[in-house]
Parts: sequence; structure tokens; C-alpha cells
Amino acid sequence: MGVEFKPKIVAFMCNWCTYAGADSAGVARLESPANILPIRVMCSGRISPEMVLRAFRSGADGVLVMGCHIGDCHYSSGNHRTAKRMPLLQNLIGYVGINPERIELQWVSASEGPRFVEVTKAFTNKIRQLGPLAQEVLE
Amino acid sequence: MITLIRQAVAERLNELDGVVALRRSSASVAPYLFQKGDDLVGLEIVPKYPVMTLVSRLHKRFPSIRLGVVARGCDERAYIEMAKRNQIDPDRLTLIGIACTAEDAQTCYCPAPYPNQLVIGTPPAPGPTNPLVAQYDAMPLAERRAFWRQQFDKCIKCYGCRNICPECFCEACAMEDKVWVEPGVLGPPFPAFHMIRAMHMASRCVACRECERTCPAHIPLTVLYDLMRRDMEALLGYLPGADISARPPLSVTLEETPLRVHMAH
Repeated sequence: MGVEFKPKIVAFMCNWCTYAGADSAGVARLESPANILPIRVMCSGRISPEMVLRAFRSGADGVLVMGCHIGDCHYSSGNHRTAKRMPLLQNLIGYVGINPERIELQWVSASEGPRFVEVTKAFTNKIRQLGPLAQEVLE
Repeated sequence: MITLIRQAVAERLNELDGVVALRRSSASVAPYLFQKGDDLVGLEIVPKYPVMTLVSRLHKRFPSIRLGVVARGCDERAYIEMAKRNQIDPDRLTLIGIACTAEDAQTCYCPAPYPNQLVIGTPPAPGPTNPLVAQYDAMPLAERRAFWRQQFDKCIKCYGCRNICPECFCEACAMEDKVWVEPGVLGPPFPAFHMIRAMHMASRCVACRECERTCPAHIPLTVLYDLMRRDMEALLGYLPGADISARPPLSVTLEETPLRVHMAH
């Protein structure tokens, strides 16, 4: 104890909206948390439950899933699948006793640099308060 | 009842290439493809066994074969989900529906212990909800964690739950992919194996309870699957096995199957 907890957060982002949004945050020199490990995928619909679970198994304390707003998907309805899948996965991790808030789904567009910062900051703070996942899983 | 079933099978055999049902041999009871002229005295309906997997194999191997199957409520639900995913051809399958006993319905926590295409038997009342499922929401996270930790600790990763499941037919199984499930490692700390399966069951599980029956470690797997079925119905209005015309909602657009509620965990 005494060592400050630095949450590890895996952030899946789609190529067309959120990744560009993160880039625009960077271009505007907005500061976003260094806790975020970005993983770019072509579409948020590509993010399978297995990927999210793998992130947790590999030591993530929280997983942020981000993609285009509904209606703006580059592939028109890829994010519709994400919108249906993620709430189910959140419930499932809750059923085995992992706090469901460790998964969050957010839509961030290419022009929403400030929103990207806001979302990643808020999520990092939330996970910081929840503590390490290992505490829950390995107790 | 068994006499009526044998009669029905004998009648169907006049027009079909075969009927899948259980048969008693000197050693045990096992699934069997009855054909015209076979002695039907050995035809049995107990113990319960998921026959649809065999129908699927026969349909795939013999593309023109016309089959019948002696089916319980859960077999019919399995048939509905399999037909949607091209695992069987409903045009080449006739169901000989049989009702389960009231005791079956109780022990299976069965939502519908008889097929819609019921031919033989008296439908019993549906079984109760598994008390664990009914009270689950009140259980604190730490308690859930302790419960499943103890359960998953018993898992020997035999894949029996997947192998017996009528709805597990993917040619490449995520649970065999070492990227998702660590080979040679059992159970916790992070139960990826069981969570992947539970997630895949959300739009497929027809509550036949075969995974639980087959599990050598007696893990109450369908507690998780029942919760996922419940959420699937609340969130997307989809109940696996209920309606052959309803498309699995996870692979269609929000316009076709909108989210019904914002779920609180």
C-alpha cells in the first residue's frame, strides 16, 4: 500500500470517428489521461466480447469501447451491433461479480476532441475509485 | 404414452426416410435412426437427450433425406434456433412432439415443457424459475464473485457443456482459440471460458439444461444463461426458441430490433 493506483485502461476506438476524435484532441493540444491504451479497430462492431474479456484477462482495470454515433457509422450499421452487445456484456460481468462499470460504451465523433478528453478523464477517474480489477478477481 | 409414440413413429416411417429417437439396446439407451421395417419396441423417451444435433448432422450429410424426430419442448426450441442458422432444413423435418412430465418440468425449470407441434401427451404446467435466478439481482457483487469462483474452480475444461449443446455448432470455436482462452489453464482467476460461452448463449440458449446435466463438476451453468436469456428478452425482445420468424437480434440493425430499455446492471 501507499503506492498510488494507476488504472490501466484499454480503449477500443473505431478508425473513422473516435480515433480521428482522439487525434483532433491531440492536434488541439488537449490533455487526455496517459492511462489509456488505445486500440484502433476499423469499426466498433468489430469489438467482440472476447476482445473485451481478453483486455481484462491481460490486466486492464477498465475497458472503454468507443465508436461513431448511431447514424454516423462508416459502415452504416456496424455500431448497431456494438450498441446491443455491450449492455449484455456489462450485465454478464456483473453476474460473475465484476463491477459492470468497468466496461463503458461511448460514442465519440471525429470532431469531438474535447468530448474524447472528457470521456477518457471521467472513465479514468471512475476506475481509479473502483480500484484495481485484481482486487475484485483475486481476492 | 410410449405406445402412442411408437404408433406415430410407425405411421411417419411410411412417408419419411427415417425417424430419430432414442432406442434401448442391451447396454443402454442411445439415439437411433429408425427406418421402415425396424422393430419399434426398443423406442424410448427417457432419459432426456438432445436429439437435434444428430438431425443436423444427418441433414448436412444427406442433403435430400427427409426425417422425423421425436421431440420434446426443448428439442423444438433447439430446432427453431438451428433452422435460423442453417443447421437443419425445416422443410425436410417432421416433429413428433411429446409432452414432458410435470416432474421433468420442475427439475428442468422449463419455461415450456411441451412443443407447440404437440402430438402426444398432456402438457404439464411450466416449471418454476430457478430460485437462484429469481433472487439473483439481490445478491451483492462480492457474493456473486465468491459463488462463481467456487463453481468455476471445479471446471476441468472438458468442453462437455459446449459439445452437448444443440446451439453450439460453430466450425471455429472461440473457446478453442488460444487468443481468447488460455490453453492448459483451468478456471479462475479470470473465467474467460465461461464468460465467452455465456455471452454466446444470450441469443441461443433454449433452456434445455443439457450442459448442466452433462457437466461432471455440476456447475449450475444455466443460472448464467437464464440471466442472459432474461436480459435478451428485456433488452431486445428476443427469446431464443420462441419464434422461427424472429431474426437473431445481435446481427441485425437497431431499426429492425431496437433496444427496448436502458439496462441498469
